[in-house]
Amino acid sequence: MMEMIREEWEGKEILLQGNEAIARGALEAGAIFYAGYPGNPSSEIIETLAEASRELPIYVEWSTNEKVALEAAAAASFAGCRAMASMKQNGVNVVSDFLTNLALSGTKGGLVLVTCDDPGGISSTNEEDARLFAHLAGIPLLEPATPQEALHMTRWAFELSEKIQNIVLLRSVSRLSHTRSNLRMDKLPDFKAAPYFDPKVPFHAFPVVEKDLARREKLKIAGALFENSPFNFYNGPVSPELLIICSGCAWNYADEAVEILGLQNRTGILKLGTTWPLPNELVKKHLKTCDRVLFVEEIEPFLENNVKAFAADLGKAIGLKEFMGKASGHVPLCGELSPDILLGVLGKLFDKQWQNTAFIEKTAAIVGDRLPPREFGFCPGCPHRGSYYAIKTALAWDNRNGFVSGDIGCYSLGLFPTGFNQVKSVHAMGSGLGISCGYGKLEKFGFDQPVITVIGDSTLFHAGLPGLINARFNNADILLLILDNSATAMTGFQPHPGTGTTLMGDKTDPVDPEALCRALGVSVEVADPYDMKEAARTIYRLMQQAGPRVLIMRRKCALIQGREGGLPYIMHINRDLCLGESCGCGRYCTRIFRCPGLIWDKTAGKAQIDEVICVGCGICADICPQGAILREEKA
Amino acid sequence: MELQHQEGQAKVIAHVIDAGICVRCGACVGICPYFDCFNGKIVVMERCYAEPSRCAQICPRIAYEPTSPIKNDGAGGEIGEYLKVVMARSSDPGIRNASQYGGTVSTLCAHALEKGFIESAILTDRGEGSRAPGGCVAKDQTEVLSCAGSRYAASGSLSEMNRAVGAGQKNLGVIGLPCQMEAIARMERAEPKESLMAESVVLKIGLFCTWALDSEQLAAFLKEKGVVGPVRKFDIPPPPADEFSVETDKGREVFPLSEVRPLIQKGCAFCQDMTAELADIAVGTVEGREDWNTVLVRTDAGLSLMESAIADGSLEIDELPMDHLNHLKAAAKGKRQRGKQAGARSS
Repeated sequence: MMEMIREEWEGKEILLQGNEAIARGALEAGAIFYAGYPGNPSSEIIETLAEASRELPIYVEWSTNEKVALEAAAAASFAGCRAMASMKQNGVNVVSDFLTNLALSGTKGGLVLVTCDDPGGISSTNEEDARLFAHLAGIPLLEPATPQEALHMTRWAFELSEKIQNIVLLRSVSRLSHTRSNLRMDKLPDFKAAPYFDPKVPFHAFPVVEKDLARREKLKIAGALFENSPFNFYNGPVSPELLIICSGCAWNYADEAVEILGLQNRTGILKLGTTWPLPNELVKKHLKTCDRVLFVEEIEPFLENNVKAFAADLGKAIGLKEFMGKASGHVPLCGELSPDILLGVLGKLFDKQWQNTAFIEKTAAIVGDRLPPREFGFCPGCPHRGSYYAIKTALAWDNRNGFVSGDIGCYSLGLFPTGFNQVKSVHAMGSGLGISCGYGKLEKFGFDQPVITVIGDSTLFHAGLPGLINARFNNADILLLILDNSATAMTGFQPHPGTGTTLMGDKTDPVDPEALCRALGVSVEVADPYDMKEAARTIYRLMQQAGPRVLIMRRKCALIQGREGGLPYIMHINRDLCLGESCGCGRYCTRIFRCPGLIWDKTAGKAQIDEVICVGCGICADICPQGAILREEKA
Repeated sequence: MELQHQEGQAKVIAHVIDAGICVRCGACVGICPYFDCFNGKIVVMERCYAEPSRCAQICPRIAYEPTSPIKNDGAGGEIGEYLKVVMARSSDPGIRNASQYGGTVSTLCAHALEKGFIESAILTDRGEGSRAPGGCVAKDQTEVLSCAGSRYAASGSLSEMNRAVGAGQKNLGVIGLPCQMEAIARMERAEPKESLMAESVVLKIGLFCTWALDSEQLAAFLKEKGVVGPVRKFDIPPPPADEFSVETDKGREVFPLSEVRPLIQKGCAFCQDMTAELADIAVGTVEGREDWNTVLVRTDAGLSLMESAIADGSLEIDELPMDHLNHLKAAAKGKRQRGKQAGARSS
């Protein structure tokens, strides 16, 4: 959305996504250095800035992982420049070791860490609340509730960081990051930067206790600034029946529910944008006004616990309160909140009818049964389907209850029928490999199940290498399949060390996983996921060997192949040969192989090619027991 | 998801594969993508729900009522119905040397190919390196002789027959164990009809069988005993030897039979057929006469093949002494009784 950096929009309103608002806020603050690692719902921040970098004098990179991203951004800060790192919640875990030390060393140029959390785990392996890292590291936390606020808050975060000489954490969530609304934009600065590291002012954590005390002092300053922050405000009567304390997107839901239920005169909403440290005086003032308090926030009871602890400190000064929230069971402990959920919570508390069934009925009437059931699935032509088919075949041949240790990426879908349910564990980036290092040392205790480890090319660079080196060092029996589709496909084709270009478009020597393995002294072979039978034989053969082994399953992501001129075939079904449900097939292509390009014609009882979806990779012809699926070379 | 159907593949998996009584005949492999034969084992590649399913009907380890009676249940006497019993051997000492005993099977098979009784023969090869013996297709005498000799291990060779039939090959001859002859007989009756199957197999040469060894366990046993390299010949010499001999390029090693018995496939315990009663012609040893075979000619097809081989001069026959026939009948009766008892115990 490069319109947003045009001068003519200054002082005007423009439709922007939450993530673009964060990017714009950082640009308005004059930050010149940006780094991140892709991951939904955060990716558009860096992507927007990368686009802006074509016209503005800023630097933007996708780093190999989030920790490197923040470290790189910290360097710019140490040299006196404003810098930002952005990532999804899982990335903050990767960053955390550096973060807790950085919080002690302090920073110079404004440094902001943006985390985009994913309540409900819509596109994540967890729904972790990264706000807890602000608590852990002892750094200020800001939580925007709307895109406009995200812009202003991001801009201000740099000022705050420079005022207290420490990093600031800004937390978005999926709904905010991906909501679009009209935003008012201010001026862009001139991005003057003169990076200089003053050798007289080092950055480190020593002496630890002294630095720890200093960090806590910085936090106090932030707390004092928060008392009068425009990001915190109260709406409601002077003495409400119920005080709702909320932050982030949850404020929108609470506000809407209060309005729909007509509770404006009975409830008061204290909306906090600066959630750590708490603006103590503000919170105290409002706690005094009401004995019943409801906390509304997403994922962890972060505000809830901190306010309760503060209330305990206040004791008689505010009197006994009835606290409601996640602990009391009034608000769901897990999953994303919504106006509906808040209508339910408040409706119950005030004994108000809230459910508007008319809307549900109207939706049902429009949608009816036309919405097909959908499951997670690899794209048509996806090489991962071929890889998992080969893995499945090799494990079945071997017949020792072998399984796959999985990792993070498109290929995590190996957990589901689209990947033939081969993957049996998925945790953090690179963990599949680390876990396999353990399986690979269990043989002396009688462990006889073969384990195949899968990792994507981008994930290998992100966090896989230490595991691979460990396997080499400790001679663990691992068989690693690098599912090299030459893309960070799951998050939207961001460049990575193996692709040969940087985010800003510069050519770079791609890191070659094969050469990498050789340099580590690990045996490495290459197979083609589209040649499933041969790949299965190779996998089986490697399974019978010991020590660390790598097989690179190399085939570009089908979407990239499509863009580069497409795949070679037009597919047909010979209906006379198709056995359908009968013995000898049992709908093998649509029931087992499950490429979305293959569909089941219920009426005819035959398989069919979905010509709109089929990309023409041709591999389904190899799995049809009847040879009824035919490949025709594209003209 | 657990499949609810108990008549299809799920039945084979529950009653045979998971029960550990699969005899690796290979009949269920090659007719669909759900079973495969790998390294001598039958493996389940995926779960199937199709019904009626041929796998459950043709598996020789599933109790099954065929549409027409299968006669290897004792109705035809101890050694089944036959037209003729003789002692036979190859006229070619070279073939006899390369074979287990008299080389009758290799001779009949090569003759059938040469004279056009069949176009291809389904046999069991010797395996290669760490790969267990498996099915193969032979087109001439050289290919037949490369498979000569007994494996004492099941091989899933019927999978090759199914693949050959699937590929449209006609006039097949199949050389196999009694369980494999039974599976073929069941195929002829299975639904939905494998229309080509009955037409495609025109000759069944059965091998006498007391039991077969689990190929995986046998491989592990040989490895443990330090027997390396390809095995040229396995043999169980007639009593009182009570031993199992293994011949490799490095020489001959002998193990007490008691050490090998634990490697017998569990599924063999249920078998009641020693003499391949459903074959066109069945061939075994003659105790004490190492370079001869016992031959039971059971059908006209078997008879015309044998007579052609004799007329051709490639096979010589002699009368089987009565005490040998009686001995064979006693042994076959013993196996039938043991099989019946095992079946009764398990049901």
